[in-house]
Amino acid sequence: MMEALQYFAIAWTDPKLLLLVAAGTMSGIYVGAIPGLSVTMAVSILISFTFSWDVNEALCLMVGIYMGGVYGGSRTAILLNIPGAPSAIATALDGYPLALKGEAGQAIGLSTTMSAIGGFLGILVLAVAAPVVSEFALTFQPRDYMLLAILGILLVGSLSGESLAKGVWAGAFGMLIGTVGLDPLTAEERFTFGVTELWNGISFIAVMIGLFGVSEALVQLHHIGKEAVKQKVGKIAPSWAMIRKYLPLSLQTSGIGVIIGALPGTGGDIAALLAYDHAKRVTRDPEVPFGEGAKEGLVAPETANNAAVGGAFIPMLTLGIPGDAVTAIIIGALYIHGLNPGPMLMIDRPHMFWFMVGNLMLANILMLVFGLTGIKVFTKIVECPRAILIPLILLLSVVGAYAVNNAITDVYWMLGFGLLGYFMKTYGYQVGPVILGVILARLIDENWRRAIISEGESLSAFFVNMVSSPLSLVLLAVVLLILVNQSPLWPVIRRRVLGGETT
Amino acid sequence: MQTPRKKRPGEGTFGILALVLSLGFAWQSYEIAGFSALSSPGAFPMAASAIMVVASLIIVLKNRRLPTLAEGGFGAAARAFWRSVSPPVVLAFIAFILVYSALLDGLGFLPSSFLFLLAAIHYLHRGSARFSFIVALLSLAAVYAVFRLIFTVVLPEGIVPEREIMAWIEHLFSGGAGR
Repeated sequence: MMEALQYFAIAWTDPKLLLLVAAGTMSGIYVGAIPGLSVTMAVSILISFTFSWDVNEALCLMVGIYMGGVYGGSRTAILLNIPGAPSAIATALDGYPLALKGEAGQAIGLSTTMSAIGGFLGILVLAVAAPVVSEFALTFQPRDYMLLAILGILLVGSLSGESLAKGVWAGAFGMLIGTVGLDPLTAEERFTFGVTELWNGISFIAVMIGLFGVSEALVQLHHIGKEAVKQKVGKIAPSWAMIRKYLPLSLQTSGIGVIIGALPGTGGDIAALLAYDHAKRVTRDPEVPFGEGAKEGLVAPETANNAAVGGAFIPMLTLGIPGDAVTAIIIGALYIHGLNPGPMLMIDRPHMFWFMVGNLMLANILMLVFGLTGIKVFTKIVECPRAILIPLILLLSVVGAYAVNNAITDVYWMLGFGLLGYFMKTYGYQVGPVILGVILARLIDENWRRAIISEGESLSAFFVNMVSSPLSLVLLAVVLLILVNQSPLWPVIRRRVLGGETT
Repeated sequence: MQTPRKKRPGEGTFGILALVLSLGFAWQSYEIAGFSALSSPGAFPMAASAIMVVASLIIVLKNRRLPTLAEGGFGAAARAFWRSVSPPVVLAFIAFILVYSALLDGLGFLPSSFLFLLAAIHYLHRGSARFSFIVALLSLAAVYAVFRLIFTVVLPEGIVPEREIMAWIEHLFSGGAGR
């Protein structure tokens, strides 16, 4: 216990690490707040610059950006009705009406405090649940890992996209990109077309920066003419009475946030929307109707999306399966730093776990501090015209892709994926599943082969064992449910089974 | 039933291209090890590409049922695509990045990035040349300070003798401190 506490406090006591967490949180808030700059984009571009660093330093920066970024989006959602990040979409629904009434300062104060409460609860659950989950995870069979990874890709594809088919296509495409290069088990060439440069595969950083940085910048070019609106903000710190009033709701929505965050593949954006929906259902008589500036409508998504951060770290650290796109990137970074997230990480290097929990907690506190101060500077930065912002994003993307291997080929890959991502976004394909697919390809591939070899190459034995293990059966059932639920067969099945109760 | 949305210009073509790409992947996956064993290196790629083929087939079929936005044949469709999906500003930026990345290695980070920022900001902002020049210079200085000096990222040096300049600055500072 004392040891855990010691590792927990590393970043709190080391001035350099403290500064890095602070810098990360600060830049996360601003990046998250600027419309068109998402947390995923920021983490993916910045991560490429930290590869030569010590792993602790790199983690401090990333954790800070993640925590700050998830919160930062709420600022512009309230002030300008433009969610700075997808996780703040629900925040805009009631936050902006509050700003229109001239209560922007109060709304920002409340959302900051609630984000911190949500974040705190998420980290608490992480600290308590992760060691348990990782012990449980030791009993997982290779097929369970495979099913969990497939579930993660499916969830991203089905919940956030235009159609399941497009999400599935993107996920499978990502998995194939992830297999390019020499097969890690047999060293056979896959999709290399005889090019030796492809033996090590396509740099996942290049893919990521292309899909999240370049493609988003190209999409933003369409909105170049939009002018930023100016806002006035006054006193922002909320009163104790107000915090107490919304505490019960915030506890419920934090719970939703942690659970959604912990599910592989789903993150803050979905958690926030579900929490908003929950708040709407449980609030019997709000002072102000929802959608017109109800504070409940602000509290719910803001607690949930920050609670989801802690939640997302649970599958990432215990199973090596990302909770959302940002944790997918962090997993990639951990691999490059020579760490293998999964149950063994918790057992072999528990200090890494407590170190990360400590960083998250520190970032959460710093978020509260930065969130309640510096609003004036903030409004200036957010008004930065896109004409300057977009060239800068592209510059950083090129530099970031180049910096990983000092190779210009990575820049070309990045550009290629940037263009592809632009068209995918234009036509309603999600880019999130692609990156999850790239990260999870190796895990699915290896676990599938391990599973089928241990069954003596017999498909029937594989399925028999799958349905006779309770865990595998549950996972399989969920995977099938998602697929069936989204297919045109679903209404038919519902009519047959539930006897005509269709809506 | 919701009213079906209109098909975006080029969406049908993109769906078909996605199908072609999927089929290409499927063929290449088969080439790895054929149907030799369930645990072969080609098994997982074959499964993934099969999923891609099925998913893109569904998308192509769904696309066919969507009403098209532009009436009037291929010419009108091409014009709609040009207008809403790849307007000149997007094409110009793709060209900017291509030229930038081509120059990056030879010319070095500082000059090529400056040219890129200058061109891109001037093109987007359409303000005075002086404004673009100052903004490009300041933002490049900020990027350079953060990434090259603080993060110590290795960037292509090109024609600028960076190391000599840095050594000179260091020398200046250590000299100024009187050490």
